[in-house]
Amino acid sequence: MRFKYIAAATLTAGAFSTTAAFAECGEVSITEMDWASAAVVTSVASFLMEQGYGCDVTVVPTTTVPAMASVAETGQPDILTELWTSYTEVYDELIAEGKLTEMSKVLSDGGVEAWWVPAYVVEEHPELATLEGIRANPELVGGLFHDCVTGWGCDVTNFNNLKAAGLLDAGMERFKHGSGETLAAALAAAYEAREPWFGYYWAPTSVLGKYPMVQVEFPPYDAEIHTCNGLEDCATPGLSAYPKANVVTAATTVFAEREPAVAEFLTKMSFTNAQMGAVLAAQESDSLSNEEAAVLFLTTYPEVWSAWLNDEAKAKLAALIK
Amino acid sequence: MAYEGVFDALGLREWCDAAGDNAPLSMADLLASTGAAGEGGGLPFPSLDVLHEACPQIVQTRDVTAALENGFLAMRPELKFVLDPLTQPLSWMLDSALWFFTSVPWWVLLPALIYLAWAVSRSRGVTLFVALSFAALGVIDHLEVALETLSIIFVCTSISVLLGVPIGIAMSRSKTVQRSILPVLDLLQTLPTFVYLIPLIFLFSITESKLYGIAIILYAIVPVIRLTDLGIRLVDRDVIEAADAFGMSNRQKLWKVQLPLALPNIMAGVNQTIMMSLAMVVIASLVSAPGLGVLVLRGIRNLELGVGLVAGIGIVLLAVILDRTSKAALARVDRAGKAE
Repeated sequence: MRFKYIAAATLTAGAFSTTAAFAECGEVSITEMDWASAAVVTSVASFLMEQGYGCDVTVVPTTTVPAMASVAETGQPDILTELWTSYTEVYDELIAEGKLTEMSKVLSDGGVEAWWVPAYVVEEHPELATLEGIRANPELVGGLFHDCVTGWGCDVTNFNNLKAAGLLDAGMERFKHGSGETLAAALAAAYEAREPWFGYYWAPTSVLGKYPMVQVEFPPYDAEIHTCNGLEDCATPGLSAYPKANVVTAATTVFAEREPAVAEFLTKMSFTNAQMGAVLAAQESDSLSNEEAAVLFLTTYPEVWSAWLNDEAKAKLAALIK
Repeated sequence: MAYEGVFDALGLREWCDAAGDNAPLSMADLLASTGAAGEGGGLPFPSLDVLHEACPQIVQTRDVTAALENGFLAMRPELKFVLDPLTQPLSWMLDSALWFFTSVPWWVLLPALIYLAWAVSRSRGVTLFVALSFAALGVIDHLEVALETLSIIFVCTSISVLLGVPIGIAMSRSKTVQRSILPVLDLLQTLPTFVYLIPLIFLFSITESKLYGIAIILYAIVPVIRLTDLGIRLVDRDVIEAADAFGMSNRQKLWKVQLPLALPNIMAGVNQTIMMSLAMVVIASLVSAPGLGVLVLRGIRNLELGVGLVAGIGIVLLAVILDRTSKAALARVDRAGKAE
């Protein structure tokens, strides 16, 4: 019996001493959201963590809502990246509780949500880049507004904006898509056939990278109007552009304390829309895989990502930074 | 590189290098340039991508997939010209059924549906269950969405049966036909729906209800075809011989001997078709079908577990209603058959 106690004590002491002796990074789990820009972010982050910091990275394919639920309940995965915070109320709660720490705005320009019309339509009729132009001639943009997916929240906002712009009265029909895939497919199908299209979409995405679209002009963002527009029973819908969507990398506080070096790297990791847009456009036109798109970013912008690393990591990756 | 030697030995080096090497940089190449320990040379499988590294003339896999895509886009106008008129009646039927089920007031529609259940099943238990189910769905404000789903299922199942039974009969007459159609049935049941739905969006507009109609029908038609084929093939040889001895023509044999004897199997096929149509409800909602599927998706997307669960149970209730009613009808047909 005494022998068992001694054995247990030795093992525990051994375990503690092992972790203390390791200055290298341990096991890290990072989310990979199911859209192209998120896959690029995760690929780049995993590569730098593995090669620069010696981490053992596990990529967890997931999407926003299940990832937030998992972190809230189990504290896994360690790093959540490309979180569009306006669509997850639970994010602010987790930050307030101290379970999550926000690392950085991974898309530094923020996500752009807007209404779009194809470039070839605006070339022929420049007034269709304005709401008044569309209201005067809804058939020129196809007479149908492609609304975002039921349950995403933007469908309510778009509906109220449509009401406020008088487009519903002018005869514009509204079609709520069942999934993001059909929305993207409808845009692509119309563009390939050179047909008019009018609807909601967001950047940076592969679709907008591949098919040049023009944003419809909106009055600037107004917090009060936008909040009311987000409610189904808003009595006074008004016109307001979408705010720049906050797109962040967040990590569990536990992880940030365990791996301070990696956490510091995450606070600096940030892509501009120009950089991400260029990578996504190249990915579309050359049929690159997500890994190859990440490689393209790493080889095209060495000055950008080397600034995120600490000296040790920079030394390890010196061959790539040149 | 792995297979360079092979191409050099075959004397194809010049032909190979004629194409410029414009393949994008892969992760393996990047790791190699950092001097990180690679996984060693080894002998990778001679896939298109691996052979492309050794010989740039060989196309990569992504060129194959891109060629398929471009081929489809090029054929678009012709495909649309052929498929659009063929499938337009489906859109019209779905839209009319939806309009009918949602505009007739509930105090006319529900008694009519309950009476229909009674007429088909002649079973008090089943009719009572149908009435209670509709009442339950109505109380929790799910009646309109349930009726929308029911209308879609009615139309899709009817078309599946109307098309499936003749195909099953054709399959049962000839081994060649059976052997050629079976792989198609396997494909329809296992090919992921979105794989053919997204290209269909390129052919038809997303607003057309025939998109989800086609999705449901292509999946749900398979059981009724298989079971009709099976049912007719399982008819006792002696009975067929007796029919031949009586000098029956093929058509008389089909209508008076084979179909009545195969009816239990066919009804089982119809029952399975109904179940599979309901299983497709959520996927149909992914391509903008109205009904209970929309609520399920909303529940999944917003983590509103209760909403998703209740809507899911609504789908189960509809399935059980249709299952019990069709089984009771089958029992009646069976009894009538045996009585003769």
